[in-house]
Amino acid sequence: MRLAVGTYTATSAAGVGLAALQESITSRRSGLRKNDLRGCDLDTWIGRIDGVEDQQLPPHLTHLLSRNNQLAWLGLQQDGMLGDIARLSDQLGADRIGVVMGTSTSSIGRTEEAYTQLLPSGEFRDEFRQPEVHGLHSPGIFVAEATGLTGPAMTISTACSSSAKVFATAARWINHGLIDAVLVGGIDSLCMSILYGFHSLELVSQNVCRPFDSRRDGINIGEACGYALLAREELLPQAEIALLGYGESADAYHMSHPHPQGEGAVIAMDRAIERAGISAEKVDYINLHGTASKANDRIESYALSRRFSKQTLVSSTKAWTGHALGAAGILEAVIALQAIASGVCPGTLNCEQPDPELAFPVITDNAERPVRYAMTNSFGFGGNNATLVFGPIHD
Amino acid sequence: MTDVDVLGIGVWSEVFSNWDEFRSVMSGDVMDTAATLAPQVIPAKERRRAPVSVKIAVEVMDQACRMAALDAKEIATVFASAIGDMQITDYMCRTLAEAPRTISPTRFHNSVHNAATGYWSIATQSHQAANAVSGFADSVSIAILDGAIQAVEEQLPVLVVTQEIAAPPPLDSIYATAHPFAMALLLSPAGAHPSPVASMRLVVESAAIDVPPLPEIPGIDLSGNYAARSLPLLEAIDKQQDREVKLPLSASKALSLSISAGCQARRSEN
Repeated sequence: MRLAVGTYTATSAAGVGLAALQESITSRRSGLRKNDLRGCDLDTWIGRIDGVEDQQLPPHLTHLLSRNNQLAWLGLQQDGMLGDIARLSDQLGADRIGVVMGTSTSSIGRTEEAYTQLLPSGEFRDEFRQPEVHGLHSPGIFVAEATGLTGPAMTISTACSSSAKVFATAARWINHGLIDAVLVGGIDSLCMSILYGFHSLELVSQNVCRPFDSRRDGINIGEACGYALLAREELLPQAEIALLGYGESADAYHMSHPHPQGEGAVIAMDRAIERAGISAEKVDYINLHGTASKANDRIESYALSRRFSKQTLVSSTKAWTGHALGAAGILEAVIALQAIASGVCPGTLNCEQPDPELAFPVITDNAERPVRYAMTNSFGFGGNNATLVFGPIHD
Repeated sequence: MTDVDVLGIGVWSEVFSNWDEFRSVMSGDVMDTAATLAPQVIPAKERRRAPVSVKIAVEVMDQACRMAALDAKEIATVFASAIGDMQITDYMCRTLAEAPRTISPTRFHNSVHNAATGYWSIATQSHQAANAVSGFADSVSIAILDGAIQAVEEQLPVLVVTQEIAAPPPLDSIYATAHPFAMALLLSPAGAHPSPVASMRLVVESAAIDVPPLPEIPGIDLSGNYAARSLPLLEAIDKQQDREVKLPLSASKALSLSISAGCQARRSEN
């Protein structure tokens, strides 16, 4: 398989659009801040994007109002995404382009808000009576309506692997001939469910997150949105990068703790590399899941040591963005694509004392070198794993 | 166009608890007792922690696998629901509005949309791909289409499961799911396994269609349950006749499912 990657974009605490993201990476400026999310009193750091709630939705989309959909709209307006979608739609037909979005919590922030303003009868106020918004497919419905794309639309929600798996689904749909192109993406926004939920599992750090550092003590939650156009090679003649492989797997171990030997992670990486038709040593850069939880980083590091030699540069970018959960897959796919495009591999921010007990070293300073093949890992609750491999469209 | 075989079927509602009972109910019988729900595939300890939405999903998944006599380790899964587990959503939102620091960690990890496939993969020790998707009102059609494509493209059996449970107040005023319903179809590439229950050809058509009327089921009204939109398909498979079922795929698209009878529909083993 070899699918052309067309226009892509990402919006996160590390920047709105690609130029801002790249500037944050090269200047090593984190987007994390002390928690200042309205209504949340947890002592932690978050990756919040300024001004999401000020985004004005176009009149025909206001029935889908939620902070998550406002973030979806903000992200769609970056890097010429909307214009390039419209051009491809004109070329192929709106019904020949599918929409596959990833999210973990969809618009649950809107549902939470509805519950804080219930009528005395216990009912929802009228403005919250939005059936499409409170369900899981809210991002898919919003993006389809916002772009006018009418091909098959679906939302994937497999926790933190959601918007990595969108690439696998898109590849199958295109290879099968169901459609010619797919707009993939992921959107997850900060909400109480996630902050207090991860807090209840004692996974949230009171400090800035420190992936792979010996002092790491938990995650910072972030929000993000990203998109990419995928199509058969001949339909995007300008494209230079291709999706070469994907691997999906299940840990079959525990709902909220990764497999101790990283069994599912290794299977996902193996499947992705095998499908890409390359050998592991060809991979120049891997953007890791690297959440800064004690368990993830130890186990992911061990899983890497089972397959890769230490010439492969690996790092986590969570200390720039926070853990964007269901949007982490697309965000970090975009960072991997940017590593190929720019030749800059981000060194793990905030990893000042690399944990000597970890099995595989991460880079801590940015490294400049040609990157032909880049990979990204996304692991989620339920033991749900996805790995993607990108590389040159022409050998 | 996508050709797949149906190797196994699982169904559960309050008035039938498996495919045999569904067929009996459809032919006019009434079950003596209300359907029970204690899926044996997950260990008792896990079963206590699992929410109802997970229990009905893994129950029908297990039924479908047993009908096909296939090892779950070889099977990928696609779980679909329009609205997810609204009982957990209600619990989360109510608790967050009142005492956010008291959120239960177990109920939080059970709140992920992929909870059912997570419990399933742990119970069956399957490392195969596990997906959890939604297409809102069209979740049934998009999940069957996606699962069928995955079966053909990856050349492996794919277990498609869809379920909805009743939404509690105040969400019940938005989502009229009065009764729980779940169904699973074990799909494989056409011809990959001997003696399928039925064969299906899937075609996406450009046409705006209405939701087909649901078959009458004595004792229960499943009309508000999005997962029950699969009932016309199940009825067609039950009848063992060649027929076409069309379900909406979106506002402008329909999914045509042409069913042809497989070998004599095998009885489930329970």
